[in-house]
Amino acid sequence: MNELEAFFTGRIWLKDFTPFPEEQIERAIAKGDLLVIKGITADGQCSRCLEKSSHKILSYNCAKCGSVCFYCRHCIQMGRISSCTELISWASPSPKLHLNHSFNWSGTLTAAQKTASTEVADSLARKENHLVYAVCGAGKTELLFQPIFDALQKGLRICIAAPRTDVVLELSPRIRAVFPSTTVHTLYGGAPIEKGFADIVISTTHQLYRFEKAFDVMIVDEADAFPYSFDEALERAVLKAAKPDSPIVFVSATPSDKLLKATANRSEIFRRFHGHDLPVPKFKPLWRYKKKLERNAIPRKLVVWVEERIAKQEPFLLFLPTIELIEHSIPLFKKLDVRIEAVHSKDFQRKEKVMALRNGDIPGLLTSTILERGITIPNVQVAVVGADDALFNSSALIQIAGRAGRSISYPAGDISFFHDGISREMDKAKSMISFYNRRGMR
Amino acid sequence: MRHEPTWRSLFFRDFAETACPSCKAEFCRVPKGGCNICGLPGGGICRDCSEWEKTEFAGLVHSGKSLYVYNDAMKTYLHQYKFLQDVVLSEVFSGEINEALCKVDAILVPIPMNTEKLKQRTFSQVDELLASAGLPFTHLLSKTAQVQGEKSRQERLESTKLFEWNGKPIPDKIILIDDLYATGTTMRHAAKEMKMAGAGEIKLFTLIRA
Repeated sequence: MNELEAFFTGRIWLKDFTPFPEEQIERAIAKGDLLVIKGITADGQCSRCLEKSSHKILSYNCAKCGSVCFYCRHCIQMGRISSCTELISWASPSPKLHLNHSFNWSGTLTAAQKTASTEVADSLARKENHLVYAVCGAGKTELLFQPIFDALQKGLRICIAAPRTDVVLELSPRIRAVFPSTTVHTLYGGAPIEKGFADIVISTTHQLYRFEKAFDVMIVDEADAFPYSFDEALERAVLKAAKPDSPIVFVSATPSDKLLKATANRSEIFRRFHGHDLPVPKFKPLWRYKKKLERNAIPRKLVVWVEERIAKQEPFLLFLPTIELIEHSIPLFKKLDVRIEAVHSKDFQRKEKVMALRNGDIPGLLTSTILERGITIPNVQVAVVGADDALFNSSALIQIAGRAGRSISYPAGDISFFHDGISREMDKAKSMISFYNRRGMR
Repeated sequence: MRHEPTWRSLFFRDFAETACPSCKAEFCRVPKGGCNICGLPGGGICRDCSEWEKTEFAGLVHSGKSLYVYNDAMKTYLHQYKFLQDVVLSEVFSGEINEALCKVDAILVPIPMNTEKLKQRTFSQVDELLASAGLPFTHLLSKTAQVQGEKSRQERLESTKLFEWNGKPIPDKIILIDDLYATGTTMRHAAKEMKMAGAGEIKLFTLIRA
């Protein structure tokens, strides 16, 4: 396989922005090796992200071709696609068998993980979709190792997609370590371009726009938002990146009803790998907390909670509903302890601050929902201030509660939902967690 | 974006907002009372412009105006508009640009792009700003084949001829229009070419003062 074939197989890529010299691309097009695809189809659909709504595909007078062109606003951050831009893809992908994979993992699975692992492998063998419905801290990633290895040995190409860059960055080193002789590419916004053919691609869902009929096995991690009701194009991206008959494995701690109904094959794990119950959130009224914070005072109960964490030297995460409230409140919390920090999605030092909390350099973090999933900090204690806020739906609250008690040395942990009136979503989250604990007992 | 007709929309030319209020609030207007030519805060004529008045470009420009300062929000805007080529963003400031220029009695002359660059970008950012603001404009200049961005300030100042008059009739009063005022080189060179072609009063207008 030459380097062009390796790179462009399964990809759909802007012709003018490739990691290869222009002449090499032109020669491959002339030979018929690379297929040229119109950026926007005749009926007004973006060929890369499949967007076609008229408020995202807009017309303008194009000075390049001198006529009215359309361009796609949906995937514009990845380089604009318009009627007169061209996309390229490898014309006739050849079946390829890389069979020199190795499996380097010596951990053991719990009985529940083992069952789920076998069930996933069976579904994949039958080319059927599968849902892994497992609580936070159940050890979802580990149970996928064996099915992934089975697929690799059959010469299949595998994609692991996750909605957030943070999750992709966390998964990547683990997968590389388990499959040391396999080519693994990691894709997220701003990632360096890796040449060659990857048998495993770990990607944010967004980056999947750049693939087409590429993967034999698709694993969608953190799939609770799937189908992505807020962004149908992302859902299409997943389906487009997979080959038409490829099975999809959905992995989620809080699957939507729609996803539960859509997947007949399902493995459930309602117990954490360490065998302990999930800590159940406590509801604590904090009347008019927003007003008090706005008047530059932390409500008494919250001060007590934070001071107790500091006294016991327990790291804490304190979730707040908005970035504005976080930025307004952080100076107040710094009066309790100057080392307390704040993070949110627009914070470039996010990784460093989380690391500082993990290392015990700082006592706690105020955070937005950005840290609701994917992070593990031993003995972390969790508070949600304004758990009744509309932003915190039951899935988000379950994920947040899932941060506590993950490590085997500290399987318990305090989860306080401070509220200004209990919401239905809070009730739902608490009853789901209790339900998992009951079901997990079996 | 479609809106219900209102009495106001029937009698006034209002511009539909393409940016949400909280994003729009991050753009910051150039404070009043800045430099008469480039708008830099301080009043009178700023140091940069005074320097220009000691060169062969002295006395070319009557006055000038700039609407916004070049803050982070504006950098992001310009990146999305020019480099990601999100043409529709020409509408974001259409109301403000229209307000500033609809009553002037001069001909609006956009700073042109060179042909190569125009093909690359697929649209002229200055023309689109004016078109979205519903303002008529006339091209009187063409760009000589040099790219601005890759030069140092000194090189810019020394570069000889950036624009050429395209031969169309020259009105007495013109306003040169650009998206961004940085060193002033572009505007001074354009003004010089227009003056030599016979223009009387030359004013400047830019969306952003860097």
